[in-house]
Amino acid sequence: MIDWGLTAKIAGGGFGMVFLILAILALIVWIVGLGVRRISKNSSRSKEKSQE
Amino acid sequence: MFGLLESGFQQFGWGNALMLLIAGGLIYLGIAKKMEPLLLIPIGFGILLVNLPLGGVMDYRLEVRSLEAGNVVEVQMQEGERFQEGNILCQLDSGAVVTPIYGRVEDIKVSPGQRIEAGDVVASVLTTAQTDQSELPTEPLGLLSRIFAFGIMWQVIPPLIFLCLGALTDFGPMLANPKTLFLGAGAQFGVYFAFFAALLSGFTIPEACSIGIIGGAEGPTTVYVTSILAPHIIGATAVACYSYMALVPIIQPPIIRLLTSKKERAIYMKPQLREVAQLEKILFPIISAIVIILIVPMAAPLIGCFMVGNLFRESGVVERLSNTAQTTLIDILTIFLTLSIGASMPAENFLLPKTLLVLILGVVAFATATAAGVILAKIMNLFSKEKINPMIGAAGVSAVPMAARVVQVMGQKENPRNFLLMHAMGPNVAGAIGAAIAGGVFLGMVG
Repeated sequence: MIDWGLTAKIAGGGFGMVFLILAILALIVWIVGLGVRRISKNSSRSKEKSQE
Repeated sequence: MFGLLESGFQQFGWGNALMLLIAGGLIYLGIAKKMEPLLLIPIGFGILLVNLPLGGVMDYRLEVRSLEAGNVVEVQMQEGERFQEGNILCQLDSGAVVTPIYGRVEDIKVSPGQRIEAGDVVASVLTTAQTDQSELPTEPLGLLSRIFAFGIMWQVIPPLIFLCLGALTDFGPMLANPKTLFLGAGAQFGVYFAFFAALLSGFTIPEACSIGIIGGAEGPTTVYVTSILAPHIIGATAVACYSYMALVPIIQPPIIRLLTSKKERAIYMKPQLREVAQLEKILFPIISAIVIILIVPMAAPLIGCFMVGNLFRESGVVERLSNTAQTTLIDILTIFLTLSIGASMPAENFLLPKTLLVLILGVVAFATATAAGVILAKIMNLFSKEKINPMIGAAGVSAVPMAARVVQVMGQKENPRNFLLMHAMGPNVAGAIGAAIAGGVFLGMVG
């Protein structure tokens, strides 16, 4: 006899959890990527200014 | 005097012969067709070794105990005799002592007329079966049963292989296009679809989880989850996972063609991904390990090892560790894992209707995962200005890098200007993370 409640919890909750975690990671990766690019842009600008 | 009766010929049956054919088939695929030879050759040879009787490479000793007290009336088996599960070992005046598993008798410890109490050892038997150690504790005796018990059942080898895979993985394409993480997530739908299908086919929830995780297309994750939740089907799930990973170039293309139009398959993606800074590549394994393990603690061994291996690679200051993980260590672990996985498939344990069902459900898992990835990519295109080629969704099935190569080849056929390999590597490696998370969630909810 299949326990449909538990099955739905495992399948729905499990798939939802995988999606949620990878979505969080995608957001973090995007933010970190943005931050790193901004920092490197600022540091190359200040290098150019100091060379002038 | 040694004769044919002491050799394996006496106990060699049609089941063993069939398994030798299967072993030969896997070895043939590995050598002649060059399909994942690193995996199929040792798996095939492991199957061959365990199906040559009396070899003992995969033997476990089990002590059969009486559940009741009584006087022994008759001992119905003799040393060296083979038996199936449920056969009567000895008759007591209060009942019978039956064999809880298949195997052969090593030593009879009682004799007619002897008084025994409940819990007394009646006989020691040898078996090649994987048992639930809390119910039927066994002692590994053979070379491969020891590697299996202490490497796989103790959950040591799979996480260490994941460490080596982390050292081999370049997350750059995924970091350049974080949307591909969604495609890796979408492909995990195959895991849960196969989980449902397995339940409807009559498997228990732990068995269904072990079958469903085949859809993650990650050998170490499949072995890890199955060793905890359903060790008695580990041979079937592992051979299904590794075989279908080798067959990805055959399984995926028809499904991709069915779900996409020619125009969609020809969607051009610029070959140049943005340059990913080294700092991003260093931060990613650290941050993702923290995030994932805090949310899904049971994923710690797999994800932790995966990310530390990746950090070895990306830090640039531990080249020795990275090189060792990418070469020698993964080769040693692969030999141990695949030989012992192959040896977990004796005829008595493999030639069952359940095994055929596992193999069929494994294909269902792979196929559904492929379809889900492609469909999700098409859905993402509805909301995205810059279209992605939906075929890269199929690479969310984390058979790295085979699935990405399939997408590359199909993409080139439709549009020779299209170089999809690096775009497909994004979902490919994201799928590896997704599969490990799915495994951790199963263990957290069911284990």
